[in-house]
Amino acid sequence: MEKKPTIEIRNLSKFFGNIIALKDVSFEVYKGEVTALLGDNGAGKSTLIKTLSGVYRRDEGEILIDGQVVNFSSPRGAAAAGIGTVYQDLALQPLMSVSRNFFLGRELSRVGGLLDFVQMDQITRDEMAKIGIDVADPSQPIGTMSGGQRQTLAIARAIYFGAKILILDEPTSALGQKQQLEVLRTIKRVRDRGDLAIVFITHNDLHAKLVGDRFAFLNRGKVIASGDRSSIDMDNVRALMAGGAELANLEREFAGE
Amino acid sequence: MTSVDERIRKTTLLESALRRPELGSIFGLAAVVFAFMLMTGPINAGLGEKNTFADMWIRSVGVQSWVELAAYVGILAIAAALLMISGEFDLSIGANVALGGHTFAMLMMAPDPMPLWACIFATFAFMAFVGFITGSLVVSTGLPSFIVTLGFWFANRGFANYLAFRNHDTSRLDIKPMLEERNVLKDGEIIAMPDPTKIDDIFAFKDGFFGWTGYVDLPFLDPFRLFFNAEFYYFIIIALLAVYILNFTRVGNWIFAAGGDPVAARAVGVPVARVKVGLFMWSAFSAGFLGVIFTLQSGVSEPLAGDFRELHAIAAAVIGGCALTGGYGSVVGAVFGAFIFAIVSRGINFVPFIDNNLFRVILGLMLLGAAMLNQLLRNRVVKG
Repeated sequence: MEKKPTIEIRNLSKFFGNIIALKDVSFEVYKGEVTALLGDNGAGKSTLIKTLSGVYRRDEGEILIDGQVVNFSSPRGAAAAGIGTVYQDLALQPLMSVSRNFFLGRELSRVGGLLDFVQMDQITRDEMAKIGIDVADPSQPIGTMSGGQRQTLAIARAIYFGAKILILDEPTSALGQKQQLEVLRTIKRVRDRGDLAIVFITHNDLHAKLVGDRFAFLNRGKVIASGDRSSIDMDNVRALMAGGAELANLEREFAGE
Repeated sequence: MTSVDERIRKTTLLESALRRPELGSIFGLAAVVFAFMLMTGPINAGLGEKNTFADMWIRSVGVQSWVELAAYVGILAIAAALLMISGEFDLSIGANVALGGHTFAMLMMAPDPMPLWACIFATFAFMAFVGFITGSLVVSTGLPSFIVTLGFWFANRGFANYLAFRNHDTSRLDIKPMLEERNVLKDGEIIAMPDPTKIDDIFAFKDGFFGWTGYVDLPFLDPFRLFFNAEFYYFIIIALLAVYILNFTRVGNWIFAAGGDPVAARAVGVPVARVKVGLFMWSAFSAGFLGVIFTLQSGVSEPLAGDFRELHAIAAAVIGGCALTGGYGSVVGAVFGAFIFAIVSRGINFVPFIDNNLFRVILGLMLLGAAMLNQLLRNRVVKG
């Protein structure tokens, strides 16, 4: 039996007035796999994320989840369809505690609106442990956590609240070396659970190579190359990222041709 | 497999206590109480002045003077603190005390007035509506709440006094004739006699609920007769309610999130706008509530009632550890801040060697000191 993609993007286009932000973008993501979406600044990554997570409406093309065409027009709709987006800013409150952040907007409460701190702390600790962070004290403010741990918290939260498809927006870009590795380890661990499809957006080809199963290269709003590990020339990744042909042109220009 | 991160360590109870936003104000209150105990007592005596320690700290008239001020400012400071934590600001609080009092008085003075209880509740509903309008305007225009509520600071008091002058030829509304006469003779003296069957005596009693002891004449309760005005007991109830909401309910979680990072809060489904409008309603209601109580207690609604109180309330909230930028603060801190304000403000009358004119100087310096201390403590929270 052939493997079916959990989410499939078909010929997605998005225009802002006369600007073509995305044109005929197609790629697919499978359960238990990481699809690395690479692109330089301005390649259309952000537009793509916002379209997939319901912030923008697509102008052309289709999004299929488990083979069904889905139509949503709000972040809530996208979340209901199983798309969990972890933005770069993580949507976290630095002065609030770990478990308050975990359950923000979806708090567990008992009679009289009283928050169920015991259960919230327990679930937070368990869910964080599942993807590899041991939280000793869920009542500490997350301002005291490292950037990598905050990423993990945001990812754990998205998973716990029902994401089937996890979209990670540049999760490694704002971090130090050591924390980047921590996040990559988290991504790997989430991938190995086998029940989630992960879209990993990055401009770091090394990171993409480390955890990616499939790759799609975005340049000026278009997918210029895609494929799995075997069909992509890994050595060429860096060149593709910077928009291959342009780099070659520049090389020629510098050479004085 | 889980990897234990070596940088997260178990925090002790003491360490979590040191992270609380009201920390600074606890020390502040202790310092102020200590300083005024010293100044009214030993220092006064040492300078050859009258020892006023007992006047301020033991005799009921002295204790009442600062406790009741703390209650007044405290009820407003709790509203200001909640708003500030949610990232907003209400300058119209003081004006709303007058608006509430005048609304109530004018309802009472109407040619064919509603019963007293209906006037009280109609005023409350109107003040909640005023808060709703203020909050909705802030949320829908996106203008800073400083500007919007500055507008209402001018307009609300102005409107109240305009209506009063137009209908009654004075902006000082006397409703004593409308409140039933209740002065009686006791031991040959005329005293105000609270009557447990009258709603104004239950709702806005003066000098303690045990004032009733005079009515039923139980001499052993006499020591309790000179206790606090109604607003002190409301202050305690409101403080407990606010602590409960802010720290133990989901709405409290939303208040913090709305002020901390509203965009992030909205992204995870927090109804930021509704939270803020609700808190503006709380704020206007609190002010109107006090306006009604004072009008009932004195029988007069003053045109300048609540003047400057918005700034006192905000000062108390800031002394109590609230961040003006939102997302951080505490109700307990605002309560302590209100007590600090009240003790300094009233205590200065008991200390003859400090010129009363210095009150504002002291308050201003204290506010600055508290704000700097709190910023220091806040940074510690984030850095661990």
